[in-house]
Amino acid sequence: MAFIEIKGVSYVYPIREGVSLKAVKNLSLSIEAGEFVALTGMNGSGKSTLAKLLNGLFKPSEGEIMIDGVSTADEDHIFDIRRKVGMVFQNPDNQTVATLIEDDVAFGPENLGLPREEIVQRVNFALEAVGMSEYRTREAAKLSGGQKQRVAIAGVLAMRPDVLILDEATSMLDPAGREEVLDVVRQLNSQGITVINITHNMEEAALAKRVIVMRKGRLAIDGTPSQVFSSSLLQACGLTLPPAAALAKELKESGVDIGAVTTEESFAEGICKLLK
Amino acid sequence: MFKDVSFGQYYPANSPVHKLDARIKLILTLVYIIGIFFVKSYFGFMLTAALLLLIIFSARLPMASVLRSVRGILLLVVLTAIINLFMIKDGDVLVEWKIFVITKNGVHTTIKMILRLVLLISGASLLALTTTPVELADGLESLMKPLALIKVPVRDIAMIMSIALRFIPTLFDETNKIVSAQKARGASLDTGNIFARIKALVPVLVPLFVSSFRRADELAFAMDARCYNATDKRTKMKRSKIKFSDVLAALVVLSFFTVILLERYYFPSVGINIDAMIFGGLL
Amino acid sequence: MQAVEIKNLSFVYSKGTPNEKLALDNIDLSIEEGSFVALIGATGSGKSTLIQHLNGLIKPQDKKRSSVIVNGKSATDKKTLKTLRFEVGMVFQYPEYQLFADTVEKDIAFGPKNMKLASDEVSRRVKRAMETVGLDYAEFAERSPFDLSGGEKRRVAIAGVIAMEPKILVLDEPVAGLDPAGRAELLALIKTLQKQVSPTVILVSHNMDDVAALADRVVALKDGRIVADGTPKQVFADRALIKDIGLDLPTAARIADRLAERSIELDKDIITMAELKAALLSLFGKAEQQVDGNDESQASDGTREEPTGENSSLQSKANAENNIDGGDVKVVKYEGNTGGDADV
Repeated sequence: MAFIEIKGVSYVYPIREGVSLKAVKNLSLSIEAGEFVALTGMNGSGKSTLAKLLNGLFKPSEGEIMIDGVSTADEDHIFDIRRKVGMVFQNPDNQTVATLIEDDVAFGPENLGLPREEIVQRVNFALEAVGMSEYRTREAAKLSGGQKQRVAIAGVLAMRPDVLILDEATSMLDPAGREEVLDVVRQLNSQGITVINITHNMEEAALAKRVIVMRKGRLAIDGTPSQVFSSSLLQACGLTLPPAAALAKELKESGVDIGAVTTEESFAEGICKLLK
Repeated sequence: MFKDVSFGQYYPANSPVHKLDARIKLILTLVYIIGIFFVKSYFGFMLTAALLLLIIFSARLPMASVLRSVRGILLLVVLTAIINLFMIKDGDVLVEWKIFVITKNGVHTTIKMILRLVLLISGASLLALTTTPVELADGLESLMKPLALIKVPVRDIAMIMSIALRFIPTLFDETNKIVSAQKARGASLDTGNIFARIKALVPVLVPLFVSSFRRADELAFAMDARCYNATDKRTKMKRSKIKFSDVLAALVVLSFFTVILLERYYFPSVGINIDAMIFGGLL
Repeated sequence: MQAVEIKNLSFVYSKGTPNEKLALDNIDLSIEEGSFVALIGATGSGKSTLIQHLNGLIKPQDKKRSSVIVNGKSATDKKTLKTLRFEVGMVFQYPEYQLFADTVEKDIAFGPKNMKLASDEVSRRVKRAMETVGLDYAEFAERSPFDLSGGEKRRVAIAGVIAMEPKILVLDEPVAGLDPAGRAELLALIKTLQKQVSPTVILVSHNMDDVAALADRVVALKDGRIVADGTPKQVFADRALIKDIGLDLPTAARIADRLAERSIELDKDIITMAELKAALLSLFGKAEQQVDGNDESQASDGTREEPTGENSSLQSKANAENNIDGGDVKVVKYEGNTGGDADV
């Protein structure tokens, strides 16, 4: 059984009296421990709702989600699931609870009621892992966007999670901040943490090993970046190819086939091979 | 853009006073304030001023930063002084003009009242100047802990304080952005009468409320995602230990308090004599 | 004529406190009417402070030394300040966060009403602005802006600015946070706005592909100083400088550099995907297909797949969306182990 098992899940948003929105429809998929998955789709495709379903912030209206063999609907284990599936949100300003960085990172472990020494150890470890140790006594409000998101990741890491979900966590950052965050995330994945990066930046999606595309609450495409980018359905999902892949496609139409391209590097490789 | 604006009065410096435990500072400030109300003689006021100067000096604060807080209550001081000066009618008459009478007693009471107010405000401002709002909130939480026994939700109150503190700079920033955006569309926020101004605030307040609710919503999710309320036995990373310097500070302030009380109730003649020595016939 | 003339402009935040920060350091900048200028620089380089001087939201600190003249009017002069606000339309980051009225129409009318225009002129402008940004008047005018989708909200906010029909339009990261479709639509809209409403456009952006595709002049800031000023080709040609400022190159230039590392030398000044495509096609001995000029250069730019030149194309996009609804989209699966029947 995979670490994350989504079985026939639907989720209905109550908007107001008598009006509701089915944000996720009969979705089934599974994610193995250690995977690096990009979850993408246009605004309103249901990808953020899915994220909140994965750590039990929302409960499925139908179907079931199993995290490490435990259902998210199981109230007795809900905090266990939230600890295992950590989440970093979009707006860096709306997820820090404390003024000082170290206090914010300690928030999760404090909630778990861990002993003091253990909390200190975890905070040190987490700040180290995201490269923010020297900032520990600074005020969160004074950091850059990228730094704030790294602190948010540290806050999750301090709970020793198995899965890290980034819910459009880079969308409000400048390119430098985005790089900072992605570097940290890649490193964590290489240390065995499962990463689910929700993004509509296709260059970012190309960095994952697996890309899942949602459309109107349903699973639309699921495969490696190159498989997904060559799918005829991508445009119908409201997504565009990353620039390098788009150009490769155009070149192919003009009779220059450089093979499957996902990143700029693979584009350059493709040109190189064709010339030789 | 206004990220560097610090709120509150905190004046960052690396001093022994800054490093004192916030709980000790809170209690000692209270003791100091109570102490001031027992001071009656000029000698007592000098003693208080000396203590204050000692603290300001050890806290490495510029005099101006302390005086700034006094400036805030200047109007109050002047008004109370004038009322006092003319309301006290007993004692030797110094000046008399139509219904206005100034007596010697009135002058002394007024001067002492001014001293009391200025020393009070300066002393209280030292707490704010040397303690960050976060430390203050933590200190208050710690001092309020016994209230949990009578079912006061101390932990929730502390969380609310901490979040409020955390979001002040964010909301300040946000307000600035919205004001700029509406001004760029020609909104005039600082002209017209009071009703026009209140009406002009709508384009600022509505987006501010909308965004605050959105923030609150997202924050709630973020807190839940990080297992808030997972257990009743929430722990805290930071434990403030009472240090030697805290004990020393407590001793200084408590001896001040004792001297003031002794002077007032057991040796009033000391104060009277010293006052007479300094001011001579003026008394 | 010069739309903007800035001389000796400096600005210090939190002057006289330990947090003092020099945001602008002796800026001289003239912007000609009708130009499309991109203002680039890392976060904190002074871009926001600079643009807020253009309509007097921030006033020069040293009035004797500095001067900010916009459309021939001084931004320090109280009398002309109000008119200046209307001549310089400013679209801030995430402009949808400034929406406040209970209907779209009222919100867009806020600016024109502040201009004290006659009511029929106000409603003419609201209608025109909505049409320009691609919001159907009959459908959207009476709706609450808070019930719209993210992309629609942003278009309402932009309409609220262009309804003042400003001569200069300043856009601070206008596509931030939008999904690919939203981005493409909005970028195309900006070109339309320059043609139809505001002849001079100043774009603040971190996306160098957008800068390369849209701007005819690039001004780069670092630590409050102008460190580069020229055509996009000139500015991006200085690779060392771009790196020093802490910015990216356009994708096309990055790919060209990667090819150069592999000893495949293309033209040094390639900055758009269209140019890269042409260079590669000629490298492989294929002539580029004949297409009529302008639109093609946009279409082949990877960041903007849909060449939405005018409003009509927003319409066509909506139709395309409907078509998809009609026919079912099939799920394609490449991995066997995902389980379940996820057909649509």
